[in-house]
Amino acid sequence: MTFAANKFARFLPTATFAMAAEYLMGLSDSVICGQIIGEEGLSVINLMQPMFNVVSFVALLVGTGTSVLYAMEMGRFDRRRASELLTQGLWSALGFGLLLMGALALSRNAATAAFGVSGAVLAGAREYWVWFLPCAVLEPLSFYFSSMGYADGDGRVCAGAYIAQLLGNCALSIPLTMRYGYTGCAIGTTVGHLMALCVLLMHLRREENSMAFVRHFSLADTGRICACALGDASIRLCQAGLTLMLNLYIISRFGEGRLPVLAAVLVILGVSEAFDGVATAAQPLASVYIGEGNDRLTRRIMGLAARVSAAEGLVLTLLAVAFPQLVVSMVGITDPSLAEAARTAVRIVSLGLVGTAFVMLLNSYYTFRVREGLAVGVTALATFVLPVALAPAAGWLFGECGVWSALAASPYAAIGLVAVYVAFRCGRRAFPLFLDRARIRASRVYDLVLDTKAICDASATVGRFLGTRRGMDDRKSGLVSLLIEETLMLVKDRNAGRRTHAEISVDWSNGITVVIRDDGKLFDITDADSTASSLRSYLVANLMVAIPARRNMTTTGFNRNMFKL
Amino acid sequence: MEIKTNTEGSTLTISVSGRVDTVTAPELEAGLKFGDATKVVIDLADVPYMSSAGLRLMLTAHKTMMAKGGTLQIAGVQPSVKEVFDITGFSDILNII
Repeated sequence: MTFAANKFARFLPTATFAMAAEYLMGLSDSVICGQIIGEEGLSVINLMQPMFNVVSFVALLVGTGTSVLYAMEMGRFDRRRASELLTQGLWSALGFGLLLMGALALSRNAATAAFGVSGAVLAGAREYWVWFLPCAVLEPLSFYFSSMGYADGDGRVCAGAYIAQLLGNCALSIPLTMRYGYTGCAIGTTVGHLMALCVLLMHLRREENSMAFVRHFSLADTGRICACALGDASIRLCQAGLTLMLNLYIISRFGEGRLPVLAAVLVILGVSEAFDGVATAAQPLASVYIGEGNDRLTRRIMGLAARVSAAEGLVLTLLAVAFPQLVVSMVGITDPSLAEAARTAVRIVSLGLVGTAFVMLLNSYYTFRVREGLAVGVTALATFVLPVALAPAAGWLFGECGVWSALAASPYAAIGLVAVYVAFRCGRRAFPLFLDRARIRASRVYDLVLDTKAICDASATVGRFLGTRRGMDDRKSGLVSLLIEETLMLVKDRNAGRRTHAEISVDWSNGITVVIRDDGKLFDITDADSTASSLRSYLVANLMVAIPARRNMTTTGFNRNMFKL
Repeated sequence: MEIKTNTEGSTLTISVSGRVDTVTAPELEAGLKFGDATKVVIDLADVPYMSSAGLRLMLTAHKTMMAKGGTLQIAGVQPSVKEVFDITGFSDILNII
């Protein structure tokens, strides 16, 4: 397994779990209120959905934007700038959170009145609204620390935070709802967020934490953070818009009685949140590689992510096609004819899941690349514009099944349209990753698990390649060979008895740049003043003096050393 | 790696060819037997690369010969290997011709 694959595989379970937990968090209050209070409780929580979406939108905007820009600056070895963005991200999360809480507090009566409900449901909505207000600050903060935790390579703390939030919410919301109704439910949710935040803050005390806050405040940086994550965050708004439009269309075209079928369809559409786990797992490495300008490794990590996305989409499609009744039971449809229609709808809509998985990945990748327009475009097309445009037309032609088919076809059509647009604007080969082929040709990557033979083989291979294939003089190719053998042997010695992966990239597009990454114990190998305890460490220290253009940076929990020769 | 030895009187010439790295260094170490020679020449003309593992052997050989009152000369050093000697300051310690 390569270094990148190994890192990706380590992040993937926790990232997927985190996204699944987020999806379950969204469902938990509905289920708890629905089960304990009844249909009235379900209605109250459903009315809160737009508020949840707005808070999630703000959280995604700040958390994703900061983590992407931070990782990219780390990729460029600019720690100072990365720390400035990190600090501004925190100010932004706090500032937006407080502003949002104030706005929600002031708009409570007007917003709840606009729902067009009255009596117990209106009173319940207002009650829940008040106690949910602290979440407007806590959610952006906890999502910010969670995103930064991933960017810093600490998937474990992030997964722990989601477990704490989910369990804390459920453990508190159930008894509190039974005793205090909506107030109890909202308090449980708020405490769940608070518990998650406390767990996430533990990362700052961990040895592998490389995040450092600095004195910095810049509204322009807040703008950059928000612009960068607009595509990723816009998913929430598109989903909210689509839900609203579908509700209105189904009621007007097929009648209110068909809404339960739509509820089953929305469960499938909501599953797409879990696909974000793949991009979350790929983001720390992808952003660093993009920051380094290493298109070969960017292609490698995104290729891995694409394969996993396809597999996830396929597995979920097969499950939905084989067991649609699970979804039907979850939304509580008991009428046989409605249940049959819902099963058919679930099967049809699930055919779009592979396409949705790719849309989510493309959206995230364009966010990593800071191509906000494309990120927003592919998301808006797949999750709002095309479904809203195609569903009524297909419904008019083919009835209800036509509507579901249009929803399934939309992600594929969106990918096709984006491909055509990119080909038209930037050339046929630019889609999907915008990689520079000349740059890819001017680089090589070597992966190894550190043992003496593998290290010496890699050193010899690189030296031979640079000498015979690239025509480099023996002195320089020998120096690169020496650098690889000596530094990696030193890393191996420091990690005795431990399986350590390393990745060497050699780029000759602009001089010779060698980047050596390893997942062993963290230490700065480029420090020329380090104590020489062996002939090897003495040679490495002298090599560092001989190579003045060198940088070391702990990135996403691994050592990264860059040398320019 | 290939190691050839040639004795002429009290002078022992050891010709090495191939990379001297951490994997191949033990092989060279086994070939560095000086016997009664009072002058040893290690010919590195066919050594394109030497890492710290090779440096250690050169230093050990140098100390061994010094201890027995003999001399060690290192000959035919290629520029890429000379750079390693220069970087580490071994050029000032070893007798490179």
